[in-house]
Amino acid sequence: MSQFWKAWQKRKKTLQEKALHHHADRSMERVADKELSLEVDENIIMIEQELGRCDDLVVRRFRDKRGTDCAIVFLDGMVDRNVISEYIISYLSNPQIPDILPASNELESTDGLRQVIRNILSGSAVLMRDGDNKAYLNNTRGWDRRGVDEPQTESVVRGPRDGFCETLCVNSALVRFRLKDPHLRVRHMVIGRRTQTDVYVMYIEGLAYPPMVREVLARLEKINVDSILESGYIEQLIQDRRWSPFPQLQNTERPDKVVANLLEGKVAILVDGTPAALIAPAVFTQFYQSPEDYYERFYIATLLRFIRAISITIALLLPSLYIAFSSFHPEMIPSRLVIAMAAGRSTVPFPSLVEALIMEVAIEILREASVRLPGPIGPTIGIVGALVVGEAAVTAGLVSPVMVIIVALTTIGSFASPSYSAAISIRMLRFLVMLLAGMFGLYGIMLFLIVLLIHLSSLKSFGVPYMSPFSPLNLKGMKDVFIRAPHHLLRTRPTMFHIQDEIRMREEENREQAGR
Amino acid sequence: MNRQGVSSRQQTFSMWQQTSLITSTLIGVGILTLPRTTSAVLYEAGWMSPVIGSVVALLSIWMIARLSQRFPGMTFVEYSAIVWGSPKYLRMGKWLSLPWILAYLSCMYLATGIVSRVFGEVVVTSVLLDTPLEVIIITMFVLVFILSLHDLDVVARINELLLPLILLPVLIIALASFQKAEWSNLLPLYRASLPSLFKGAFEAIYAFSGYEIMLIFFAYAHENESKVRAGVYGIAITMVIYTLIVVAGIAGFGYEELQRVAWPTLELVKTTKVPGLILERLESAFLAVWVTAVFTTVANAYYAFIYGLRQLFNRGIGFQRIISAIMFVPLYFITLWPQNVVDIFRFNFYFGVFSLVINLGIPFLYLTLLFIRDLGRKQKERNADG
Repeated sequence: MSQFWKAWQKRKKTLQEKALHHHADRSMERVADKELSLEVDENIIMIEQELGRCDDLVVRRFRDKRGTDCAIVFLDGMVDRNVISEYIISYLSNPQIPDILPASNELESTDGLRQVIRNILSGSAVLMRDGDNKAYLNNTRGWDRRGVDEPQTESVVRGPRDGFCETLCVNSALVRFRLKDPHLRVRHMVIGRRTQTDVYVMYIEGLAYPPMVREVLARLEKINVDSILESGYIEQLIQDRRWSPFPQLQNTERPDKVVANLLEGKVAILVDGTPAALIAPAVFTQFYQSPEDYYERFYIATLLRFIRAISITIALLLPSLYIAFSSFHPEMIPSRLVIAMAAGRSTVPFPSLVEALIMEVAIEILREASVRLPGPIGPTIGIVGALVVGEAAVTAGLVSPVMVIIVALTTIGSFASPSYSAAISIRMLRFLVMLLAGMFGLYGIMLFLIVLLIHLSSLKSFGVPYMSPFSPLNLKGMKDVFIRAPHHLLRTRPTMFHIQDEIRMREEENREQAGR
Repeated sequence: MNRQGVSSRQQTFSMWQQTSLITSTLIGVGILTLPRTTSAVLYEAGWMSPVIGSVVALLSIWMIARLSQRFPGMTFVEYSAIVWGSPKYLRMGKWLSLPWILAYLSCMYLATGIVSRVFGEVVVTSVLLDTPLEVIIITMFVLVFILSLHDLDVVARINELLLPLILLPVLIIALASFQKAEWSNLLPLYRASLPSLFKGAFEAIYAFSGYEIMLIFFAYAHENESKVRAGVYGIAITMVIYTLIVVAGIAGFGYEELQRVAWPTLELVKTTKVPGLILERLESAFLAVWVTAVFTTVANAYYAFIYGLRQLFNRGIGFQRIISAIMFVPLYFITLWPQNVVDIFRFNFYFGVFSLVINLGIPFLYLTLLFIRDLGRKQKERNADG
């Protein structure tokens, strides 16, 4: 039986590989790697042939101070026009300047057509001269970009306000600016056959576990897809378990969070064109931990963590607990409350499962709608939805008042999680528990929780068990899980990511501090 | 670093994981009937029987740990062939050890069936009154099946995660019921005869059975961790919990009353009041949390069974997945065999004897065999030297 299974798996694998080969028409590779010629006109014709009919391709011909015919080729809108006119064209045609090369800050030369095409497409201005078979690639990238802005999804009360933007080099600079460590390593990769998206893999050498870094790089290299439009593509292509509802890579828009995670020995993946950076590996604690925890004093941080943990539990279980209590175990509810609840429910024609499903679906619709609506209208819809519809539903006898409280708490609870993608999986699983609670009451909820725990303890993100440090139990790591111990007790980094250099804070220096 | 393909040969269980494997397997359905069964023989001194019973369990787990230390990284199924034969005559060892392995595996298999039946009975009679027994048993099997799809380290981790969930409610119930305990119910301290003391201890031994899973799981214990210590901790924790719950039962109801109730611990829960009256009655909540205790017992035993089968046939995880699905079918019918609760308790008694024989007999037999063979080898060496 198992041999049959193995054979089947093998067949599946070979089929997949075949399919990959079939699609492996890396679009850049289709560009013929011809050598450039000595004639400018011939080169321009070659470029125009490769790019086809591109009306935004600008070819500017001029004659430099020595009288040679020159041409600059670039794509409109992707370059800084001032740089081209001042530092290339007027610089080269000014007879008082003896230089024959442009004064741009990043200048490369090549004689291959493929490289020329690639650079034109990524915003360089290419300078070619008659009698020279080299092309000069000036980095003149300068399209309009969104500035560094406060991250919308992860706001904090205390902490830096800057967030990543869509430009890769700005993002990596935001990380560099916080982490002036010479051991910070940045690996560049190009992923996506057609989009040719730039990707940076960042880690700190001497902190990150080398096999883990290699694994991240290897998985990235294996990606063979035509487009990477957002880091979510990469996240889904390199995660360990494709069918799991839980995010196995963390994503964040906050540079300070990236830096904090790099310092714990993790690997960050920055993708061009998106403000969401990926952090690998991810563990379960991301559901209720925020970078803010380390900025506030530890009592506050610990309290906040507890509150977040409670609110996640509420978001996951409260509606199903209501269903279980009201339809299976009414004897557990205090008698006065049960009378009040029964009075509220007396007009409701549905069983509590249907009642809860109606309200939860309604609130999900409201939430989705308020995300799509233009800025100022969003909150209005929220108020209209939550207050008016809720109130009207109770008055109309569709749902009981307790149900409205429960739905409101559930929704607010799911927003308390600092990680949006983690909260989504909780929101999703909530419906599953509700169905099980409707079938078996508390027993159903327990069934669900056990299956959930089995799944969570079998999950691994890049070799790190998802449930660490709870299991495998790591008492040292527990100092920074539910409670956030004061900084002077967090002398060592968490060991669950196979950290190489454990010491975060040296004892002697600490004593000195205390003496002061 | 993609560890998914790493063979389960790796010895990774920490001591805490071993301890939680033992404790969570031991605590199962036994805890619901323990105050009744122990006080039936020992009257007021019923709490002594878990204490004495734990000594037997300790002896047995000590032998199991010694066996495993002798063959590090090998499960019972693997080293049986070496014990009965020798590296030279492995085939003979395999055939000679087969009856013992089969006895052990069937013990695990039956334990799974009995525990899930008792569990189903309790759930159906006390919380989910309209749900058929079969549905409860099948849902439990589905849970266990989901676990048996995974690798061995997941079993250790899930036990580790669930252990607090098993211990806390029992502790809370035992301690909370002390509020209205009648301490004079525990007096006189001792009036039973010595034979009845052993008889009482035997009643508790059934509640202690389950650690024999370690014949399989000790093979994956981390080398640097002491297996004996893990075994002692595991049984000691269980002993404390059991003693507490028996004391609470006797002090709360008195031994005569205990004989009249089928599930005394559940009655104890019913009479317990929560401070603040957040929940009016606790038994549904207790039973819900108690599902985890039963799950770990059933799942660990079943996993040991499936894993043993897998090693017996020398197959991989794919075989384990398929066979675990198939083996549920006969198990379902075995589970539904007893007609009623009385029948189940009788079944339970016979099974208790059986598992006691297995738990004490197999390790003892193996150790004696090894001892004799060692003597023989030494004799031979001495002869060779001389």
